[in-house]
Amino acid sequence: MSDPGKVEAKEVCVVDDDPSVLKSIHYLLASEGFKVRAFNKAEDFLTHASNQDVPVVVTDIWMDQVSGLEVLARLCAISPRTRVIVITAREDLAARATAMAIGPVAFFMKPFDDEKFIAAVHDALGKSQK
Amino acid sequence: MEQGQTQSEEQLDLLQAITMEVASASDFASALEIVLHEVCEKTGWVLGHAWVRNADVEVLDLVATWYCGDGELKPFRAVSEASHFESGVGLPGRVWKTKQPAWVEDVTNDSNFPRSAAARSARLKTGVGIPILSRGKLIAVLEFFMRESRSQNEQLVRVITAVAAQLGLVIGRKRVREELARTNEILRSILSNMGDAVIVADKDNKFLVFNPAAERMFGKGAMQTPSTEWSHRYGLYLPDKVTPFPHDQLPMMRSIRGEDVDNVEMFVRRQNAPRGLWTEITGRPLRSSDGDVLGGIVVCRDITQIKEEEFFRAGQSRVLEMIAADAPLADILTSLVLLMEGQAEGLRCSILLLNRDGKHVRHGAAPHLPETYVKAVNGAPIGPRNGSCGTAMYRRRPIVVTNVMTDPLWADYRELAKICGLRACWSTPILSAQGDVLGSFAMYREENRGPLPEENRLTQIATHIAGIAIERQRHQEILREREARINLAAESADLAFWILYPEQNSAWMSEKGRLMYGFDSNLPLTCDLILSRIHPDERADVKGAYDRACALYGTFESEHRLLLPYGRTRWVIMRGRCLKDEEGNLLETIGVTLDVSKQKQADLQLQHQREEMAHRNRVSLMGEMTASFAHELNQPLTAIANNASAARRFLDRGNIDPALLQQLLQDMVADSQRAGEVIRGIRSLVRKEAGVRTLLDLNAVITDTVRLVSSDVLSRESVLTTELDPLLPQVNATLVQIQQVLLNLIMNALDAMEGLPPLERRIMVSTRSDKGDVAEVCVRDFGTGLPKEKPDKVFDHFFSTKQKGMGMGLAIVRSIIEAHGGTIVGENAPDRGARMIVRLPAVRGQTQTIAAA
Repeated sequence: MSDPGKVEAKEVCVVDDDPSVLKSIHYLLASEGFKVRAFNKAEDFLTHASNQDVPVVVTDIWMDQVSGLEVLARLCAISPRTRVIVITAREDLAARATAMAIGPVAFFMKPFDDEKFIAAVHDALGKSQK
Repeated sequence: MEQGQTQSEEQLDLLQAITMEVASASDFASALEIVLHEVCEKTGWVLGHAWVRNADVEVLDLVATWYCGDGELKPFRAVSEASHFESGVGLPGRVWKTKQPAWVEDVTNDSNFPRSAAARSARLKTGVGIPILSRGKLIAVLEFFMRESRSQNEQLVRVITAVAAQLGLVIGRKRVREELARTNEILRSILSNMGDAVIVADKDNKFLVFNPAAERMFGKGAMQTPSTEWSHRYGLYLPDKVTPFPHDQLPMMRSIRGEDVDNVEMFVRRQNAPRGLWTEITGRPLRSSDGDVLGGIVVCRDITQIKEEEFFRAGQSRVLEMIAADAPLADILTSLVLLMEGQAEGLRCSILLLNRDGKHVRHGAAPHLPETYVKAVNGAPIGPRNGSCGTAMYRRRPIVVTNVMTDPLWADYRELAKICGLRACWSTPILSAQGDVLGSFAMYREENRGPLPEENRLTQIATHIAGIAIERQRHQEILREREARINLAAESADLAFWILYPEQNSAWMSEKGRLMYGFDSNLPLTCDLILSRIHPDERADVKGAYDRACALYGTFESEHRLLLPYGRTRWVIMRGRCLKDEEGNLLETIGVTLDVSKQKQADLQLQHQREEMAHRNRVSLMGEMTASFAHELNQPLTAIANNASAARRFLDRGNIDPALLQQLLQDMVADSQRAGEVIRGIRSLVRKEAGVRTLLDLNAVITDTVRLVSSDVLSRESVLTTELDPLLPQVNATLVQIQQVLLNLIMNALDAMEGLPPLERRIMVSTRSDKGDVAEVCVRDFGTGLPKEKPDKVFDHFFSTKQKGMGMGLAIVRSIIEAHGGTIVGENAPDRGARMIVRLPAVRGQTQTIAAA
């Protein structure tokens, strides 16, 4: 799924327990030429993150199995340099505040604007490269 | 010859004299004596015997003797008197046998003369025997003896034979006369002693015979009364007892006209027979030998007794018919008393009734007792010395008082009896079939005496019939009272009674029932007519249930609507029982119909309110579940937006793989359908109309509901776990309502745990089956728990611990569960939090094997 024109492009990890949402984000990022690694379960991603360098992760919070906040907290420990972009289907202000406190680079309410989202991913990758 | 001439003349004289004398003789015996005397004197015989045939023993007996007075002849006469000759024996027997004269010259030497020894002593020699014949039959033998031995004198024999022939003629005539006279005598005696009246009249209507029985029946037969006056004179009536018998129809007149008359009934009443009598008459014309009618004879049989017995029996039948027709008791008893009184002269009767208290009497019937007496007795107590009736009822046995003036039983009633002219009174208790005293039957006389056997018989019949009448009336009183009570109860309970006779397609219904079903009170009812009142939508079901009940169970119950004239409807409950004969054939169905329209209306209103409340509750639940709904909708919308963006970007770059585009579009379609599902789910929850009950798998419902609410659980940093019994039986329930119950309980649990740290916010939903009868759902939280004093208070309306809550949630939950025939209880768990336990009746035989997600 990676764009042959940007072979050197860094991998973007996506975590969402909703398969169709996960798949659609995968396509969206692929259309921009990003290399995408998708995770249906937060645990799988955390395992991946502890073995590989993950520059950017796009993750849902409030997934069924593991609390999104817990994922963020553990990722901070495993891979402190990973840039996090949070996406959520909830309009819960308290949850947003909590998430922001942990320090994501961007926060998107589903459904989100594709241009801004792509820009945020580029931005995050750029920052991680620095 | 001279002597012969003289003899001949003498003999003619003799013949003439004897003939004269015999003709004037009063009877046969004296005629014989005259003949013996005359013959002996005039023709020289010393002794003559007359032998008469004794028809009984067929011998000749000596009946008369004449002799000349010589003492020597006496012994011979004695021997003759002691002799009886059979045919052929001795001189008389020889004559009898031959019917010819016999001459014996010397009887002392005759071989066939048993009295020869006596004849020798009497010095008798010649004997002659002469037969006396009447119509060729020997009736007597004359025998003469003389002392000289003389040869047969033919002339003498002829003379005596002529005399004997004369005698025979005379005797024959006399005998006929005597016979006729005796026959007449016998006939007269028969007629006189006959019980039946015999009347003979000639064709001029003059009576020839009017026997004593006829006189007893009709009075003296008057020769001078013309036949047109007969009916009036003798008191002859048609069987109606009042119409004088038509003259030309009288049996005698018809007989004289030449008719045969058979068994004509006639009523006879004269001044000296005021009670009258009944007679049955047979008549025949009297005809001469050449067939001319000379007159008529009628025989009248007294059938009064038979007739009265017949009337008495008919009277009894009439009274019994009155009883059967439920005539008023007073009328029945009065008829009975009148019937009894009609059976005997000077008899008065009364019937008293014993009150149900068993202590006092009341008037029953006494048509011929003075009103003062009746009034005085009415209400009197019974007791051991209370007149004939009061004592008879008290002692339960007949009481006979032959003199009311002296009998101590009548001490209290003596003056009354005196005024009323009563002298004797006997009374018999009237008993029911069970032996209870119902009253008494009494007979009164104006003379001092006890009952005759005939009167005892009447009493027996009267008490029997009165017993039947009184007992029946009592039963009916009891029935009427019972019916009145039932009717009263039925009317105040809005109950209609009915009976169906399916075989005849006929029916009966109480007034209330006719009102309820909209039938006029005089409309003849049929089963079909009643069925036609049942609402067409339910008619077939009700009929089916009824037929099944008749065939199988014997009882049925149905709740349905009636469609009345002018389109009115009524809700009723119909309950019935089928009655069958010994062979199992349906005889009738009896039952009641209860008008439940008001309750039904109230129920419907309540149900409407409940649905309205439940709807509001669901709408408000939706409001509380915004997080979940936002999430559920935002997910597919996000996927659609992302896929669309991706597709546009691929297209912008101009290098899209058609298979990839295909994939993106396909995903977008799938996700928009998913969004549609979510919206449909929300709509079904807020829809207003009541749902239909179906067989539900509660485990599946729980799984779906938990997923629906999962976002809210997450957003409240809570955890919801399930523990589902795979063997949970199915329940019959409305899906939306069960979801509503689960949502309410889960949202409440979330609310209850708001104050807890996120890690402690746990909800457990579990199911289990209890012996397969009940499906149990338990929603448990670890929150603050229910109010300790009254955990069930949470189910009350408007009870709320929450600031924003309406306090309707759990009340609605409970009403839903109860409408499903289930229960819900709230309790505090031993360690922490509350448990809400819902139990719903399981559908038998339906067990879940796997809880489908």
